[in-house]
Amino acid sequence: MKLKLLYSDIKPELDLIEQELEQAVDSESPLLNDASLHLLQAGGKRIRPVFVLLAGKFGNYNVDVMKQVAVPLELIHMASLVHDDVIDDSEIRRGKPTVKAEWNNSVAMYTGDFILARALEYITDIDSPRLHHVLSKTMIEVCRGEIIQIEDKYKLDQNLRDYLRRIKRKTALLISSSCELGAMVSGADEKTVRHLRKFGYYIGMSFQIIDDILDFTSSDEELGKPAGSDFLQGNITLPILCARSNPEIYRLLQTNLNKDLTDEERLRIVQTIRNSPAINEAKAISERYLSKALKELNELPKGPARKTMRNIAFFIGKRKF
Amino acid sequence: MNEQQIHSKITSVEIDVLRAVKQRTLEKFTEGPSVQRERLFFLLLPFFDQNQWSDDIEESAKTVSIVYAALHAHDQVKQDILATKKQQLTVLAGDFYSGIYYQMLASANNIAMIQRLATAIIKVSEKKAAFYDGNIYKIDEIEQSIYQIETELLSSFYHFYGFEKYMPLAGLVLTYIRYGTELECLQRGGQSLVIRMLNQTLRHPLHTERWLKDKLASLYEDILWTADNYALTYELKNFMLHQITPHQHKAEQLTREG
Repeated sequence: MKLKLLYSDIKPELDLIEQELEQAVDSESPLLNDASLHLLQAGGKRIRPVFVLLAGKFGNYNVDVMKQVAVPLELIHMASLVHDDVIDDSEIRRGKPTVKAEWNNSVAMYTGDFILARALEYITDIDSPRLHHVLSKTMIEVCRGEIIQIEDKYKLDQNLRDYLRRIKRKTALLISSSCELGAMVSGADEKTVRHLRKFGYYIGMSFQIIDDILDFTSSDEELGKPAGSDFLQGNITLPILCARSNPEIYRLLQTNLNKDLTDEERLRIVQTIRNSPAINEAKAISERYLSKALKELNELPKGPARKTMRNIAFFIGKRKF
Repeated sequence: MNEQQIHSKITSVEIDVLRAVKQRTLEKFTEGPSVQRERLFFLLLPFFDQNQWSDDIEESAKTVSIVYAALHAHDQVKQDILATKKQQLTVLAGDFYSGIYYQMLASANNIAMIQRLATAIIKVSEKKAAFYDGNIYKIDEIEQSIYQIETELLSSFYHFYGFEKYMPLAGLVLTYIRYGTELECLQRGGQSLVIRMLNQTLRHPLHTERWLKDKLASLYEDILWTADNYALTYELKNFMLHQITPHQHKAEQLTREG
C-alpha cells in the first residue's frame, strides 16, 4: 500500500497544493524554474502539507487559509533537500539526478535560496507573529541539527541522546511545526494545538528512525540511491548505534568508516547490519515514539482527520520504503 | 556627526550583526559572516543624515546585512570541491543566517519586511542564476544584473522606510566597489562569474580589463556629480568618498600599471 492512498480524504486539497507548489516555484529565470520543477516533479511523500491540512481539520478548516501554510512548509523542506544534496555531494535523489548533479553546486545554492525565499514570501501573507516565531525558530533548529550532524560525522562512539537530539532538529521539528501551524491558523484551541504539536514531534521521530532503518533494509532500487548511504557519508544512525554493541560489528564499522568503499564492501556492511538484532532494536525505539504519538491523538476529538492521522502513523511505523 | 562617530556607529551595528549570527561550529570551520562596512554605511546613511530613525528600523538594517551575509556564504560554495567540512558548513551557514534574519524580524513583528526581503532575495537569485543560464550576452544586461545583485536588498530596505532618495548614490558606490573588486580579481589572474561573462562578451581578458577601468572611471565621475546633488554634511560626504578611496587607489594604480 502506498502512503498516498491514505490521503484519499484530502486528495482534492492535496491536488490543489500540488498546483500551488508548481506556481510558487515559477520564476522569470528559466534555469531556476527548471531546477525547481525538476525537484518538485521528483515527487515525495508531501507529509508536511498533509499534516498541515489534517491538523486544520481540528479547527475552522478553510483550504485557502491552510494552503498558505501547507505550500511554504513543503517549499522549506524542498529548499533544505536541494542544499543537503550539495552538503552530501549526492548525485541521486528519489531515483533522479539531484539539482547539483544535473546542473552544478551554484545552481543548487541559488535554487535553494530561491525556493526558501518563495516560501517566506508566501507565508508572510499570514500576519501572525506567533506563527512566524514558531517557524523561524524551527528553521534555525533544523540548521543547528544539520550542523551537529556534520560535527558528529564518523563518531562511532556517540551516544543515543546525541542521535535523538539530532533527528529531533533535523526532521521531527518541521513535522511538529506542520501540525502546530496547521492547527494554529485554523483557530483550533490551545490544548488541541499542543497535542498536535506533540503528535507531530513523536511521529517525526518515528519517521526518521524508520528512514534510518530503511537505509539498511531496502534495496538500492527501492531507495533510489545506494543502500547504506548514511554510513558512507559518516552519519551514525540508530541501526549503527544499536549494532555496535557487538564487538565484531564494531570492528567492521570502525575499519570501514570514512573510507571509499567498493560496492562489495558497502553491501557487506549493509548485510551485516540488516541481519543483526540492531534493526529490531531500532524498530522498538521507533515503536515507542509511535505509541506516544497515538497517545496524543487519543486526546483529540474523534473524526475523519484523527482517523487518517492514525492510519498515517501506523503506516509510518510499518513502511517498507 | 563627525567621522569618529560614524565609524563608531557602524562598528556597533557590525558587532550586533556578528553577535546575532554567532555559531561556534560555523565560526570554527567557515570564513565567518561577510559583513561589509560599506553596505552598513549605506544602511545607516538615513540615520547619519538625520532622518527619523527608530530601533525597529535599525533592527531591519541589521537583518538586511545578515541576508547579504547569507547570500555571500552561498556564493562561496565551490563547484570543483567535494563535500569538505568547510564547504558543507558554508552551505549551512547561509541557511542559518537566513533563519536568523527571519527570526529577528518575526520577533520585531515586522512581517511586511520579511516579505520585502524575500522578494528581493528571489530577484537576486534569479539574476545570479542568469549568469549560469548563458542567456546574458549584452554588456548592458551584465551591468544591470550586477546592479541588481548589489543593490536589490538595500533598495527594498530604502523603499520600505521611505529612504529611496539615497538609492542613486548608494547604487553607484556599491557597484563601483563591486567593479573594483572584479578588476582586482582579474589583475590577480583570478576568475569570477562576472569576469567570465565579461570575457565571453568582450571576447578577450584585456578588453575586460580596459572595460572595467573605464567603467570605474565613469562611475567615479558619476559618484562625485551625484553626491553634489545631495545635501549631505561635509563629514558624511567625505566619509562616503573615503569608502571608495581604497578601491579608487587600486584602480588608479592598476591603470598606471596597465
